[in-house]
Amino acid sequence: MLELIDVRHEYDGRVVLQLERFAVPTGAAIAVVGPNGSGKSTLLRLLALLERPTQGRVLHDGAVVTPGGAARRRVTLVEQRPILFRATVRENLEFGLQVRGIGRAEVNRRVEDAAARLGITQLLGRRRHELSDGEVQRVAVARALAVEPDVLLLDEPVSSADRAAALTLYRALAEERARRPLAVCLASHQLEDAYRWADDVRALADGRLSPVTPENLFRVELVATGSGELKHACVGTVEIAAMTDKTGPAILAVPPTDIFVSREPLASSARNTFQGRVTSLTRRRRGGEGGGGAVYVTADVGVELIAVITEEAVRDLALAPGGPVVFSFKASAVRVF
Amino acid sequence: MDFLAEGFRRALALLFSGDAEVYGIALLTLKIGIISTALACGLGIPLGFVLATRPFWGRRAALTVVNTALAFPTVVLGLLLYALLSRRGPLGAAGWLYTWQAIALGDVLLALPIAAALAAAAVQGVDPRIRRTAETLGAGRWRTAWTVAREARFALAAVITTAFGHVVAEIGSAMTVGGNIRGQTRTLTTAVALYTSQGDFGLALALGLILLLLALLVNVALQALQGRGHA
Repeated sequence: MLELIDVRHEYDGRVVLQLERFAVPTGAAIAVVGPNGSGKSTLLRLLALLERPTQGRVLHDGAVVTPGGAARRRVTLVEQRPILFRATVRENLEFGLQVRGIGRAEVNRRVEDAAARLGITQLLGRRRHELSDGEVQRVAVARALAVEPDVLLLDEPVSSADRAAALTLYRALAEERARRPLAVCLASHQLEDAYRWADDVRALADGRLSPVTPENLFRVELVATGSGELKHACVGTVEIAAMTDKTGPAILAVPPTDIFVSREPLASSARNTFQGRVTSLTRRRRGGEGGGGAVYVTADVGVELIAVITEEAVRDLALAPGGPVVFSFKASAVRVF
Repeated sequence: MDFLAEGFRRALALLFSGDAEVYGIALLTLKIGIISTALACGLGIPLGFVLATRPFWGRRAALTVVNTALAFPTVVLGLLLYALLSRRGPLGAAGWLYTWQAIALGDVLLALPIAAALAAAAVQGVDPRIRRTAETLGAGRWRTAWTVAREARFALAAVITTAFGHVVAEIGSAMTVGGNIRGQTRTLTTAVALYTSQGDFGLALALGLILLLLALLVNVALQALQGRGHA
């Protein structure tokens, strides 16, 4: 178990991360989602013991650990834009094994194994300038898996990958987790991928764990419109109304369970009514949250919004990808922080 | 122009005849150059590494001192070294004044800040992800430093070339603490200055050509080494 306790991290006096507790249990599959600049990469660097938090503690199996200590060898980070050493792919995969003093035969076995799982065996003789960005990313993941860490941290691991490469990566992670108790903590801005494989999806906003679910999170500029606490914010091509005393920069969240889904606009008190088209219907597993029968309806209503409804409601409304849909929600349902 | 052409003819004749004095001077210069470059880079490159990577109190001041030392006039360096090595100086007991060791010491002091400043710049030029990647893959402090150095190897090779170039081309300190003694402390640069002042232009030119040849050979050797490692 890897934990951050009462952690506060600053860059040049600016707080970029503030967490009471963030735990990565043994064997867990965690996705951290959030907009750019929400602190995901900082969180991963602290968990990877590459930086010391300005305040707070990092614990590994209950013991306080620091950068430079032995625990760092149990945690491996693959950065968002990973870099390969000036060497062949094989030498890159061997690096972490050689620093651990592992014997030649075992090094070869693990390199071949990791390369096969990530589908990069044919790249082993190549050098970094001969690889595409997607290939570099797969090599970086293979390099991290080869050292068999307890915790693997991945920062936007499929940002440079095409769909097939992304599936190869997720399959490799699943195989590795089936083989041994590997905990994976993945930072992503793609909710689809996060939900596809993670047991636990957590949202970060402005360096803090979001109190709401990670869907429909937006960084906005709130503008007062002269009528009390009713504020407006432009998101995509639409304007969302929210009840808040805040103005200026803020994070706005629309809980998916608070969105009414219909085929036609409803005559209601909802200040936010948007018409659009269904882009996907996803039956998602939400470990431990009783998500059985819930369908996540993603629609493009000028901005991408996600609503959660029941399977029966999907049938009654005859919702289908490409079909028309109306999303409505009250200004008071919008969370602002 | 006849004078120049004659000078070149004489130079080539001396070079190809294997003139003992010419080659003696060249070999001494090479010996001093290699030893002082090795010492200066052996100390300066790790110092540059520390300046570039380890946060410590006074780091900025240390960088300023190193960068200022880059412009230290060699004649003044020779003068200070003379004061230290002269019989009445604090290092007089070593008996190094007017020896090749004194020239080498001056060259080390000259090339040390060059090696440190350029090495610091070379290391700072390495993508910070290299360091983080080495660390997250389990490398300790030394292995991480070695990995960063490997990434900067082309720039670090340039550091060695530059240091060697400065050392073999230096004259102010070599003249002051070496004394330009024939057969003992006469280097290519001090000999060129002497023979030019004596009007022996051909000999001066021959030595000058050897100096250029040395610089060329060192560069070619380093480029050949760099060529072995592709990106």
